[in-house]
Amino acid sequence: MTTQRTLAALATASLAVAALAGCSPSGNDGDVTISFWTHTHPPMIEVYETLIDEYEKANPGVTVDYQTIPNNEFNTKMLTSLSNGSGPDIINMDDSALRGDYIPKGLLAPVDPAALGESSVDDVQARYVEGTLEGATGDDGQLYGLPSEFNGTALAINVAHFADAGLDPEVPLETWDDLVAAGQKLAAAGHTQAFSFLYLHSGWYSQQYQTLLHQTGGSIADGDTGTLDSPESVEALQWWADLSGGDKSVGDPNKTSREATVPFQDLATGFQSMGIVYPWAMDQIAETNPETYANLKVVPLPQVDASNPSSRVYAYYWAVNKASKQQEASWKFVQFLSEHSEDFLTGTDFVQPLVGWEQSAAAQDIPFIETWGAAYATGKFDQVTPHYAEVQDAIAEMVNDAVFDGVAVEESAKNASDTVTRILQG
Amino acid sequence: MSSPSVTTRSSGSSSRGAASRARRSLTGFLFAVPALALFLVFAIYPGVQVFGLSLFDYSLTSPPVFVGFDNFVFLSTDPRFGEALAQTAFYAVGTYVPALALALVLAQALSTRIRGMGLARLFYFLPLAMSWVAVSIIWRVVLHPDGLLNQVLGLDVNWLTSSDSAKWALVIMSIWKETGFFLILFLAGLASIPPDVYEAARIDGAGAWRRFWYMTFPLLRPVTAVCAIMAILRGMQSFSPQAVLTDGAFGTEVVNLFVYKTAFESARMGRASAVAVLMFVLLLGLALVQLRALRRKD
Repeated sequence: MTTQRTLAALATASLAVAALAGCSPSGNDGDVTISFWTHTHPPMIEVYETLIDEYEKANPGVTVDYQTIPNNEFNTKMLTSLSNGSGPDIINMDDSALRGDYIPKGLLAPVDPAALGESSVDDVQARYVEGTLEGATGDDGQLYGLPSEFNGTALAINVAHFADAGLDPEVPLETWDDLVAAGQKLAAAGHTQAFSFLYLHSGWYSQQYQTLLHQTGGSIADGDTGTLDSPESVEALQWWADLSGGDKSVGDPNKTSREATVPFQDLATGFQSMGIVYPWAMDQIAETNPETYANLKVVPLPQVDASNPSSRVYAYYWAVNKASKQQEASWKFVQFLSEHSEDFLTGTDFVQPLVGWEQSAAAQDIPFIETWGAAYATGKFDQVTPHYAEVQDAIAEMVNDAVFDGVAVEESAKNASDTVTRILQG
Repeated sequence: MSSPSVTTRSSGSSSRGAASRARRSLTGFLFAVPALALFLVFAIYPGVQVFGLSLFDYSLTSPPVFVGFDNFVFLSTDPRFGEALAQTAFYAVGTYVPALALALVLAQALSTRIRGMGLARLFYFLPLAMSWVAVSIIWRVVLHPDGLLNQVLGLDVNWLTSSDSAKWALVIMSIWKETGFFLILFLAGLASIPPDVYEAARIDGAGAWRRFWYMTFPLLRPVTAVCAIMAILRGMQSFSPQAVLTDGAFGTEVVNLFVYKTAFESARMGRASAVAVLMFVLLLGLALVQLRALRRKD
């Protein structure tokens, strides 16, 4: 029995340690070279490695320590590293994180026009298409980054499936009702998974919901009060629920792939006929499933109100860590990267929205460039809030309630709105 | 004349023995120092820090602000934390009570010496050798609406996309994964019971059920007690299956996942630390209750 008690005491001790050991800070010093972190996207990594090689050869004595971090760990690793001073000099981050966390928390250095070869921030801004820098602009009006990747939202359709259903892929799907009509014909032709949203993690739920919110005119919050139960926001959720079940259903969300490492798997394998896509998604499908890619056509996103088209844009920006001791050198490297926008267009279909980008030879080679151009023109950045990760969880729960658990749309929206209020006021 | 010299020798030998024991103890302690130092730095120190951090609002990137017991007050009324706590209890009980019972029954069956039993044991141990992440990925396929489970059972259940079924899906998978762990412990316990005890019972006319209930079960009580403590630990610490299979959606968020999200996705380190402190108190209480129960049985 003494042994038992010893074992139990040990178990108690390990239990205590296990319960407490999860939240400890740790430290690590930075590097003397320019450190640069991005998320993982193989074609993009290839472009960066080539350009870094070129930059290091042209600038003897400068070393770029380039690291890629899996997408689902990126924000966590970045925040924890910045908290202990071991963060990179250059951060490549999406606009939601920049506006939601990094800029308000004062983690980033404003752009350095001199290091970018300009005499003022206005001159830097003048390089880019109007509005495209909003994603890296703080409430203080300062600019904190240059765009590395600017994404619009469109719809990919499988023309082979359309042919099976007797549909003309040249006839535009102007509204979601048009998509429903096409989906029903596709289902009748055996393509039962005509369309589905993606249910990967709360970030994906949130971005797709915001795509619909832009079209209905809804919002997530007003100040510190949730507005997911406003009529416009409820309408967006209603569209999502209608397309995923009931009379307007055009696919079974329970059968949608949830593999976050291959987000467009169902479209790429031909299981799904239509899906919301971004430029990089098409690039990824072309690489993994060239046969399906040959049958995909990118068309404008269907609208709630075709006379008032709206779409969602998001962007990644190069920004410099405010704690970096090599800010000037870092901005110079960013300048170098921004001068190679055509390499990104050619290598990975990343659009850097410099004025006149669409006229370049590389841009003209991008398939469906007119559709993407139109998507950028009607695009809006997502609304972000403080504690955005928690808000995204609330949005995901709202969608799950309405789509999978059969909770009434209004009730799901009200619950989520209350949760958002609690998050913002808590 | 001989007595004093004997006394002297005895006293000298005793003090030499004591010195030798002290030297051995010191040597043993010195060997343990590196491990103890690591334990102090990476387990005890952070653990103590968490207590302090639970009284602060700390977002990783800004200086901590003292808020007293605000984090605890918030948690006391936070429905999400309450649901995570309830789900943790459901998961722990739902998984580990059946897993323990199943392991005991299987151990009884597998402890018989017949041909092929080694292979059968290996079959049951296999899930134990696999990581939770690997198991979860495999079960994601098994639990798909068109997956193996529905096909075998002739069901049409959306296991992972419904609040009614997702928590059960996790329990089913976890029973499959965890039974082998307790099976090993019970098999070891059964092997330590002398066969003559059964022999005597058999001669006295005790049937299989009576032998199990009045002999095997009581004699296995020490192992069962350890298994129960381990089950509580494993159940309350669950994280990976929920993170991989559902990311906590559909009412499957357990406390550890809640702590992870609160700390590293929402950067509310103070609140996450407060949860860790509450869990520490809760689990310490549970373990003490078990200790007391064991002492009473002694």
